[in-house]
Amino acid sequence: MTEVWLRAALWLGLALAATLLSIRLRVATALSEIVVGTVAQLLIGMTVGSGLLGTGEGWITFLSATGAVLLTFLAGAELDPVVLRSKWRETGVIGLVSFAAPFLGCAAFARFALGWTPQASWLAGVALSTTSVAVVYAVMLELGLNSTGFGKAVLGACFVTDLGTVIALGLLFAPFTARTAIFAGVTLVVVAVLPWAAPRFFRAYGGRPSELEAKFLLLVLFALGGLAAWAESEAVLPAYLIGMVLAGTVGKDHALVRRLRTVTFGLLTPFYFIRAGSFVSVPALVAAPTAVGGLLVAKLLTKTIGLWPVTRLFRYPKTEAAYATLLMSTGLTFGSISALFGLTHRIIDQAQYSYVMAAVIGSAVVPTLVANAFFVPRYLLPKAQTPALAGSLPQPVAAGDREG
Amino acid sequence: MIPTHILVGHDGSRDAETAFGDALDLAALARARLSVVAVASPPEPPAEVETQAAIDLATSHYERLFETLRRRAQEHHVPLQTYVLIGHPVDQILKAAAAHAADLIVVGHRGRSAIREWVSGSTSRRIVTHATCPVLVVRAR
Repeated sequence: MTEVWLRAALWLGLALAATLLSIRLRVATALSEIVVGTVAQLLIGMTVGSGLLGTGEGWITFLSATGAVLLTFLAGAELDPVVLRSKWRETGVIGLVSFAAPFLGCAAFARFALGWTPQASWLAGVALSTTSVAVVYAVMLELGLNSTGFGKAVLGACFVTDLGTVIALGLLFAPFTARTAIFAGVTLVVVAVLPWAAPRFFRAYGGRPSELEAKFLLLVLFALGGLAAWAESEAVLPAYLIGMVLAGTVGKDHALVRRLRTVTFGLLTPFYFIRAGSFVSVPALVAAPTAVGGLLVAKLLTKTIGLWPVTRLFRYPKTEAAYATLLMSTGLTFGSISALFGLTHRIIDQAQYSYVMAAVIGSAVVPTLVANAFFVPRYLLPKAQTPALAGSLPQPVAAGDREG
Repeated sequence: MIPTHILVGHDGSRDAETAFGDALDLAALARARLSVVAVASPPEPPAEVETQAAIDLATSHYERLFETLRRRAQEHHVPLQTYVLIGHPVDQILKAAAAHAADLIVVGHRGRSAIREWVSGSTSRRIVTHATCPVLVVRAR
């Protein structure tokens, strides 16, 4: 066990360094963990030997995969079903176009401009089709746009985009055998039954210190994850679907979400993101920076070509249309999950993985910088006279607007 | 320069308390309005359910602090407004100052070691760098 403990300490040390770096640079921790994973693997590989991190160890792979599954479940559970129902046409169309345009466009770019195989090109399309709900929500929260109708519609559309991504990832590379049919059938049954069964089960037996709710959810996620792997699909597909269907019930239990987030972001996702970063080949990036730039530009361009006319069709003013387009061009979590899926299933090689990951990281930063610098729809921000001060907050936050 | 609206960034710490005391004295002398801004950090990565819980928690926490500040402001006959905002402290204090046309920002200075400042950055230093109005940085006494 000595080796396991010491290796775990090394990984958590890297996670801590990544967190401090993210605080200093004010970037997302996930982004910082990917970069730290890349740099650590490079430095350790040059000095001690690349085996020290043990990225192929079974327990590290398990923690990493569990991190991806729980992260995906939590992402799905953040969905606001009320917004999706009330703006279903707008969120549905914008979200679908936001997925389809870069999926097809980036796949075409990889196939015809970079000369990748058809499978590798489709994988690039999937990885670059995503929108980062976390990045979009963080940006909107800072400005107070998350509580506006515009903000809610864009966030709702982001979920639809990511749903397209996980479905494409889960089914595009599946062999479509009897196993695939069994996996799809069982998943559909569970997705249909769970919103009815889970709240009742939790009401009957939950609310105790034994963390029954967490164990129940992990059981479902692991079982369907196993079934997905057996069918040669991807475990994040059922995880996201389960998160989405439980969003209105279990997802609203902030105490349960808090506990799941603690174990997910405190232990599991650092393993996932650092591992994902450790597979990035810096020499490959240095050798072909144009491939990275090309993929990033392809994503931004195809998102713009798809989203600009659609948002205008829904009568978004130009500033809002530009802002929505840029925010929906972000990507991080599902992009990295897709890329890692491609690498571990040998759909793409390490160099291609590195290009896709670098483009994904670029898309987490570049569009938000441009959007916030030039296209913030300031007229939507809550007025300064309101307690929520210059749109910084949702209304309930400013509780103390009183004369002393 | 005689300020008419002073905005204080308050995180409940001892140095913030000193900064509020100085701002209160100044406001009483200048017959200025006083605003106090406390900033809560959203969870990272942010999620709506968690953010709302963080907002509720921060609001109840700071409300207790604000009750004390209001009593002190009343004793000095200074009009006081209090706000709990969410986001990055520097961004939110600067936005609040701009939105409410504050002509002086007052913040405490923790006097942390150079290493800690290098690792996590200094809120007061960043406010001084980016503010568009005068900033008074008060050290705890």
